[in-house]
Amino acid sequence: MPPSEQPINELPTLAQTSLSLIDTDVHTALNHMDELKPYLPAYYRNLTLDLPGRAGFLSPIGVQRQDAIPEEGGIPGSSVSMMQKQLLDAYQMDYAILNDSSMLGISVHADANYAAVLARAYNDYFAENWLEKDPRILGCVLIAHNNPTEAAKEIKRIGGHRKIVQVIMSSASRSPLGERQYWPIYDAACEMNLPVAVHPGAECSGVANPFTAGFPTSYFEWHNNLSQNYMCQLNSMICQGVFNQFPNLKLVCIEGGIGWLPHLMWRMDKNWKALRFTVPWLDRQPSQCILEHVRLTTQPIEEPENRQHLLQILEMVHAEKTVMFSSDYPHWDGDCPVHGLPRLPEAMKQAIMFGNAQALYNL
Amino acid sequence: MNPQSRTKHIVCPVSEIPPGHRKIVTINGRSIGIFNIDGQYHAIRNACPHQRAPLCMGKVTGTSTSTKPGKYQWGKDGQIIRCPWHNWEFDLTTGKSVFNPNQVRIKHYDVTTEATSNQTKSSCHVETNYSEPELEKYDVGIEQMMVVIQI
Ligand code: FES
Repeated sequence: MPPSEQPINELPTLAQTSLSLIDTDVHTALNHMDELKPYLPAYYRNLTLDLPGRAGFLSPIGVQRQDAIPEEGGIPGSSVSMMQKQLLDAYQMDYAILNDSSMLGISVHADANYAAVLARAYNDYFAENWLEKDPRILGCVLIAHNNPTEAAKEIKRIGGHRKIVQVIMSSASRSPLGERQYWPIYDAACEMNLPVAVHPGAECSGVANPFTAGFPTSYFEWHNNLSQNYMCQLNSMICQGVFNQFPNLKLVCIEGGIGWLPHLMWRMDKNWKALRFTVPWLDRQPSQCILEHVRLTTQPIEEPENRQHLLQILEMVHAEKTVMFSSDYPHWDGDCPVHGLPRLPEAMKQAIMFGNAQALYNL
Repeated sequence: MNPQSRTKHIVCPVSEIPPGHRKIVTINGRSIGIFNIDGQYHAIRNACPHQRAPLCMGKVTGTSTSTKPGKYQWGKDGQIIRCPWHNWEFDLTTGKSVFNPNQVRIKHYDVTTEATSNQTKSSCHVETNYSEPELEKYDVGIEQMMVVIQI
């Protein structure tokens, strides 16, 4: 069997019984978009490559950690050796799931053909330049959800690579992610047995919607709103019956926060008792569907005044089944694997630090 | 050297930390950053109280205040350090954080300058781990102004 078809759980990596830390959100970065040119068809190589930008509220402190600039030069996230030194080796990680969050903006590009071509080029670039560089590195199929047909093809094209463990796409969109136009993506992901992850960053960029109340005025205001978008997207997917149509689908909500979920689950359950007849495919309480199908990553972990309150929220969302550790390295708002989370009960800690990811990604 | 007592440590000649510059050194196993702000030296611990990031690698900048919504006043330029991870702001002259100065602080050390002859060179126990000129750069036998930290 060629290595690319070998299942991940048969890889000759670390002893599978002794996992201790899996990081579910780590970022690579291109020093320049032109690095994708060799992977693009001829016509696109002649374009000036670019992604949709945000109007007026770029981060004033940058997105990258200032101490993560590679020794050999370039931007943080562009160097395998720096990532090994600062993250994989430093915290003795078993696995890290990598993605380039700036590429997620393809999904809100006005040109859906261009977006799909960029996704394909990026996946080939990533497979060649990152996936084989370290046995601990795992990857995602990047897709452009504004082109669901091509996205489904891309999932089937590269989703069988033995080190690809999920589909990743932007949490920002022109219309809510429960709509039927996106279903070919979920269908393909289920066929390839891959969870679908959403990651923020492109909200309010390109053709994406602003937040529900409208456009924010600063990066601060924008960043505070990201979890609101997650509430809308998850609400859409539940109400439109995505998980009833695709009972094997798992959704990973990366970097969207956790504290909002108890409220959403309880409000949905309460309304469902009266309004179930308007969504009769929802055959059980929405919260049960969420707990079965949705996984959340920790960073940026909420830091309440009383850290016990975070533990209570983790209990409310059944974190021992639903929450997975993520550092977001090397971004400015990342969490340290050692100091990022409060002291957790041992069983919950093991589930969050590696157990839930091990089960979800079959590691 | 007894690590329990407060001891003077000679760090380097003043010429090695000109205004606007910093030097990160390890003293008794503790990583410490020494900063020159307009000729005044200040030192803080290189471990952020939030998640232990190397705080002294952060950007030195100023900060803003406001009298009413929409108004900005920039101040303390060159006196504020932002953590390289989550960008918490600390005042280098006091070690106090900007957002909660009384409860969130970074350890701040007294720094002085003293005229010292080259004999003290051999008793200096500071290892530098930051790419700055080495101690050997200054002339032997000439009295030097040295940066001295009390720990
Ligand atoms: S570690 Fe310094 S602000 Fe978080």
